[in-house]
Amino acid sequence: MPVFDVGYRPWSGERESAWRRVGVIATTGIRLAWKNQWLRRMLFVAWLPAIYFGIAFFAYERALEEGAGETLGRAIIMRMPEGRLTVDQVFQGGTAERRPVWAFMLMTLFRYPQGLLMVMLVGLIAPPLISRDLRTRSHLLYFSRPLGIAEYVLGKATVVGTYLFLISTLPAVCLYVLGVLLSPSLSVVGDTWDLPLRVCAASVIVVIPTTAIALALSSLTEETRYASFGWFAIWVVGWVAHSSLMIMDAERLGRFAMDIPSRWTFVSLYHTLGDLQSSIFGFQVEARRLQIATAILTGLTFVSLVVVFRRMWVLHRR
Amino acid sequence: MTAVIELQNITKFYGAFCALNDVSCSIPAGVTGLLGPNGAGKSTLIKILLGLVRVSSGRAFVLGCELPEGKTRIRSRVGYMPEDDCYFAGLSGVEAVRYLARLSGIPSREALRRAHEILDFCDAGQERYRDVETYSTGMRQKVKFAAAMVHDPDLLILDEPTAGLDPEERDRMLTRIGALAREAGKSILISTHILPDVQATCDSVAFMAKGRIRMVESLAVLSKPAEPAVHVRLLGASERFQELAVSDGYQVESESSGTLAIRPADERLADRVWQWARDAGVAVKSLVPSRNSLEQVFLECVREGERASL
Repeated sequence: MPVFDVGYRPWSGERESAWRRVGVIATTGIRLAWKNQWLRRMLFVAWLPAIYFGIAFFAYERALEEGAGETLGRAIIMRMPEGRLTVDQVFQGGTAERRPVWAFMLMTLFRYPQGLLMVMLVGLIAPPLISRDLRTRSHLLYFSRPLGIAEYVLGKATVVGTYLFLISTLPAVCLYVLGVLLSPSLSVVGDTWDLPLRVCAASVIVVIPTTAIALALSSLTEETRYASFGWFAIWVVGWVAHSSLMIMDAERLGRFAMDIPSRWTFVSLYHTLGDLQSSIFGFQVEARRLQIATAILTGLTFVSLVVVFRRMWVLHRR
Repeated sequence: MTAVIELQNITKFYGAFCALNDVSCSIPAGVTGLLGPNGAGKSTLIKILLGLVRVSSGRAFVLGCELPEGKTRIRSRVGYMPEDDCYFAGLSGVEAVRYLARLSGIPSREALRRAHEILDFCDAGQERYRDVETYSTGMRQKVKFAAAMVHDPDLLILDEPTAGLDPEERDRMLTRIGALAREAGKSILISTHILPDVQATCDSVAFMAKGRIRMVESLAVLSKPAEPAVHVRLLGASERFQELAVSDGYQVESESSGTLAIRPADERLADRVWQWARDAGVAVKSLVPSRNSLEQVFLECVREGERASL
């Protein structure tokens, strides 16, 4: 009981615009997700690869400018899983190869450690976003407010987008800045100025389809664990199917799977995204593969958004 | 009195099922009870008023704004307390109310201040800082009520506001509703099955049955005690029975349901009914004293719904 019971007090004031409500849903979602201890740990871990690559940038630039640190640089770059550049290419190309080498290292960061973290992070935060609202019937509270389905979905998508930005775009941009700062010469800026823009473009390519798919799964069930299962199943099944098909191809050709170009990237969401990211970072990807990857991601995004909006439309009216 | 809700020939179909059938009515400002049996169409009507469901035909106006064009404006001016147990998982009571204030467009700092004010008004106490998922039914009802009025709406739509409350809490909730109407001049539409709640708070009552609004009447008229009477249902021809009653100075009226209403209902009437039945050679199937007219209208609505569902 309050000390002074003043009864009901009316409120009069200026109301905020409708689009601010998207921000309200997003910030509340971000805050709720932040309560998860695993998410906080994952965000911490997300910065460790950037540090590793920072050392690689430093070693590479020193080797290039001062002829020192090549051994360390070779040791690091040899451990990178991306096979598009050989270690010799990296160190013998001179400053003419600087841009592709930087792009190669940023893309490796994107595709491998951050790619894995992205799958885990979205699997942690996205499944409850809509499914929990369905379970607790809070959609009745949302839609009795001056709030549309588009604003609701956009608010939820912003939660996923923000965390993806924190684990992929931000470390990559910081890595670039760190690389520039650690370079003995500022000429590196002239050679690589476009890379931060490519990082942003590659982030958008990851964020839009993955967020749409994760929200679609979340909107299909009241049970968060089913949505989580669906999310991880998409990646794991795709990866296993791709690897199996590649091994079969390799056995047929009598070569190692890593040495032959993949015909099966379209069966795996991870590899489909990889094709587009490679292209964004300026690496040669077969035009047909690129078209297939674009079509698959566009189709998946469209279908996922239709599912989310359709589900919300039905609930809105229940 | 100005109408806060105006419905003109509203019809709503869900597939082949007609949930609302040509509903026309005008609900005045003040506190109005929306009464009707299950399946009468109350929830559909509320969803239409909030712009959540589109009407199949007809026109609806809420606070002067036409639906569906004005639904965003209407939702800014209407507070809705759902019957369902709905809450925001992971938020405390005060955070949930603040969140809904923010979703209604109230700026951040104002929203927090407002949430506390409203929770004070609802006697939420220190429990407001606990996670909503740990709340009792009573506390959840308080938070839902606070959330419905946090943005200071002109019209409140309360769906079963006293469901699950103990008598003391129920009394407090009704007092709050009354205070909002009297002191703050809010218009309130209460959907409920509990007639004493309606009698305690409402100025007028709208009765719904089988997708139609049967009547909108002021409570003052409906609460008038019905003229004391006894309703008798007989097995067999009733002419002789009626003659005997009239000859003893009673008025007898045949009702549409096949019963006879006998007035005045003095203390000797019951004995006399048995005597007349014996003399007329008929059996008495039922003998019921007349009810308060609010209850009677409600029961008629319920029966109508039951008959329609057979």
